[in-house]
Amino acid sequence: MTKTLLNAAAFLLVLGALLVLPRYMDSPYALHMMILLFLSISQGQSWNILGGYTGQHSVGHAAYFGVGAYTTMMLMQARGVAPWIGVWAGVAAVVVVALVIGSICFRLRGPYFVLASIAVAEIMRLSAINLTGLTNGAEGILVTDLPAFKIGGRVITDFMTKVPFYYIGLALALLTLAVTWGIERSKLGYYFQAIREDQDAAHSLGIHIALYKNIGLVISAVLTALAGSFYGIYVGFVDPPTVLGLDLSVQIMLICIIGGMGTLYGPVLGSLVLVPLSEALRSNMVTDLLVKSGLVSADSKVGIFLKENLAHAHVLLYGILVVLVILFMPEGLMGFLKGLTSRRRKEAV
Amino acid sequence: MRKHLLALGAVFVLSPLMAQKIGVINSMSGPEAPIGENISNGIKLAEEDLIKKGIHVQLVWEDDTGKPQISMSAMEKLATRDNVAGVVGPYTSACSNAVAKLAEKYRVPLLIPAAAKEEITRQGLKHVFRMNAPADRYASSLIDAALGLGKPKSVAFIYENTDFGTSTSKTAKEYVAKKGIQVVADEPYPKGAADYRSTLAKIKSKNPDLVFMVSYVADAILLMRQSKEVGLQPQAFLGGGAGFTTAEFAGERAISEDVISCTQWTDDVNWPGAKDFGKRYKARFGKEPTYHAACAYESMMIMAETARNAGGDREKTRAGLKAGNWNGIMGPVRFADYDGFTNQNNHPMLVQQIQGGNYETVFPAPFATRKAVYPFPKWK
Amino acid sequence: MAVFMQSLISGILIGGVYALIGIGLTLIFGVMRVINFGHGDILMVGMYLTYILFTFAHIDPFVSVLISFPLMFLFGGFLQKVFINRVLNAVAQNQILLTIGLGLIMSNTVMLIFTSDYKIITTSYSSSTIQVGGGVSVSWPLLVSFLITAAITAALYWFLLKTDTGQAIRATAQDRDAAQLMGINVKRMSIIAFGLGSALAGTAGALISPTYYIFPQVGSVFTLKAFVITVLGGMGSVVGATLGGVLIGITESMSAAYISSGWKDVVVFVLFLLVLLLKPSGLMGKSRT
Repeated sequence: MTKTLLNAAAFLLVLGALLVLPRYMDSPYALHMMILLFLSISQGQSWNILGGYTGQHSVGHAAYFGVGAYTTMMLMQARGVAPWIGVWAGVAAVVVVALVIGSICFRLRGPYFVLASIAVAEIMRLSAINLTGLTNGAEGILVTDLPAFKIGGRVITDFMTKVPFYYIGLALALLTLAVTWGIERSKLGYYFQAIREDQDAAHSLGIHIALYKNIGLVISAVLTALAGSFYGIYVGFVDPPTVLGLDLSVQIMLICIIGGMGTLYGPVLGSLVLVPLSEALRSNMVTDLLVKSGLVSADSKVGIFLKENLAHAHVLLYGILVVLVILFMPEGLMGFLKGLTSRRRKEAV
Repeated sequence: MRKHLLALGAVFVLSPLMAQKIGVINSMSGPEAPIGENISNGIKLAEEDLIKKGIHVQLVWEDDTGKPQISMSAMEKLATRDNVAGVVGPYTSACSNAVAKLAEKYRVPLLIPAAAKEEITRQGLKHVFRMNAPADRYASSLIDAALGLGKPKSVAFIYENTDFGTSTSKTAKEYVAKKGIQVVADEPYPKGAADYRSTLAKIKSKNPDLVFMVSYVADAILLMRQSKEVGLQPQAFLGGGAGFTTAEFAGERAISEDVISCTQWTDDVNWPGAKDFGKRYKARFGKEPTYHAACAYESMMIMAETARNAGGDREKTRAGLKAGNWNGIMGPVRFADYDGFTNQNNHPMLVQQIQGGNYETVFPAPFATRKAVYPFPKWK
Repeated sequence: MAVFMQSLISGILIGGVYALIGIGLTLIFGVMRVINFGHGDILMVGMYLTYILFTFAHIDPFVSVLISFPLMFLFGGFLQKVFINRVLNAVAQNQILLTIGLGLIMSNTVMLIFTSDYKIITTSYSSSTIQVGGGVSVSWPLLVSFLITAAITAALYWFLLKTDTGQAIRATAQDRDAAQLMGINVKRMSIIAFGLGSALAGTAGALISPTYYIFPQVGSVFTLKAFVITVLGGMGSVVGATLGGVLIGITESMSAAYISSGWKDVVVFVLFLLVLLLKPSGLMGKSRT
């Protein structure tokens, strides 16, 4: 009982801190990093519902992200439709897309399902490149001027600073967490996990496999599409490789793998590791830190090599991280942490 | 009292020596890195020359890996966290277009060295400046050169289906329509495709007078190799992309001879210091510079000087860029408003042809060093 | 007509190389049920190996196959022993991610060493052709690649059918547990299978290099194609992968000629999905999930 109270208190504390953060942190760069974090959490949590809980490991989730992003951006550019309306068009579109994809892919199992999910996403990406009349093809869609958001004639925000995006991102991340939390505690969660553990046994118990897989997919797809729409209006630019590419699908999966699949906070942990790491490596922060701390002299051979190459090497480090996690921490960080606490409890006894 | 005066005096004396912070956004890793490297090298040479002139710059390098959204992140960081006086870069059209709006929003002067997409300087953005001639010049200079040499009536387009390939060929298609040349084939291809033979055979069956290609280096070489294999024989091969202007391409003697391409710069053009730049670059980096290196060099020279004269103030730097004119390895440079462009340097494109393994400028007349070979000779 | 013949011929020839990549992948999947997402990157390593041998030792790419084949075999065996072995029994997506991770390490390490510069191998015969009349030309280096591929495929088939080790590999692919019960060292078979698969991928890289270009990210293009080929042909079937490779080569080539270059990959993927849905065991595969 106290454990749940403690958990709830901790959660509220963190939430409270996040809500007031923009007051004290006015650096747009820092806000940008938080927004990237929220985006990553949303992506990871969305995938988690289908991949982590239902055990359907889609490596083509970029398809849903892209549908959300493109629908919103296309409507904004072509007809000046405000994004908060366009977002719902994106949701509608992605439900259709998800059901179609589901009908194709769910007949397949294991590695074949994975391959089919990749093929479908690639078909969407290539179509986006070729249907230039619709999507502007490889040139992408660039819309950086957002209309002001008004309620009853009063302007709430005109999106000039990052602060509104911060709160939208936070809301989205919280939404995905809430949905996951709800699923965990509902019959739906039971059905999903039964399908994940042993599809045939679940079927013999009378669980309607196709129905629940599709429910899981639609929920996951809708949340991913929301994240996609958010990405589109925040960054202001979408093109096929960025929002429909295989790299994105892999990255989304990575968040859950590193954090821990099928757990409530796994994607949060995964994001907390990946987002800062990626940015720290890409910019020269790591090298600068090493130099400042005196570990490496700026003029030494090591220093120069690091300065010139560490930024390029961030993808290499990604790869190494993936290999290490898969080999030594297959349950992800959540699994690792759980292992630590259970060991401590054993020792206490 | 004297101590204070001394300190004050020191500040006045030293402030011109204080380094100006200038941001650089470039594609240093990722698929665009091979050409991005030229930009980095050009900037490095500029850094050295600036020191010789007594101008110290502190460069903040940002790698955008060729992706527009990372480019935007980088610009955010430079504008709000590093407080740079100005930014030089990025490289690709897609990245430049995305970053331009941000530069305007944060009021940071941005000098784009080599991005082709016209739209970038057609948006009325006061803080965005471009050194190189935009894509419409690529098209017009090549087509005009061809029209000056013969009477081509038809053209086939083959280009990579990226932002660069698509936008450059789009402009070219509009231009040929104006000039009454018919488009008989329009083939975008995915980058990294191994085999263009069937596409080229298809183009061959349409018998185009001109073949207009937009590609980077590796594709350019493969396209020409396979064109030879298939026996595609137009009046001219027009290379509208960076791939057709590199030393590597020229080095493929069997397939690159007599290919016509357009470039922003060559080392034998009669602009001050151009030849020396070429020599210095080769000696220092072991290979010939592409035009990107020259564009980047001159962009950095101009940005650094202007920032220094403005004392690092962004608005003054912007005003300095708008008002100034220079004459360096890129020839006369002035950022003007004309024909719907804002802050665009009205740079002449040079049309060159590979003859005897070397790039020879053949058009326009004031810069031409040789006569062009036209039509394209029969494949051996 | 010329366009048709040209497309058909170049499709078949490039299909031969695709086949080699597919065969390697199908061996790995057949024996170990591992989806090797790093297969294309192994091919890339093979290409760079060929490049090094060509540039520094002036060994012709086709001749260098004799050197790169065993070296890539050892490399594959190493990867299997140290990394892949640990995830043989893990969930599919862990295997996928591990191989993706290894692929990322391979491509980025190569990028750090060689830079992203496109490298082209230009031999005296790189643009040589044989004219077969009717305006159709056959690329000489592609033809040689095709012939070598055919020879390797034949040798491989002989190996799998007639040698003890080959039969042991097939047994392991058919039923791992039964094979183990019969006294076959399945761990060793896995190492050999991965080594062989890698050697084939590396060789495919060597064979394409006179007609293609070399850069660190070239792997991803080929990995996806390899999967389409193996599924089309039937996971685990060498003959299937061969047929699949040629079929995909022709499909691509024809699509490029008659639809457009832009859509040719979509056609391949749609074909892929159709196969997965209608006959997931592929052309030659036996029905088995």
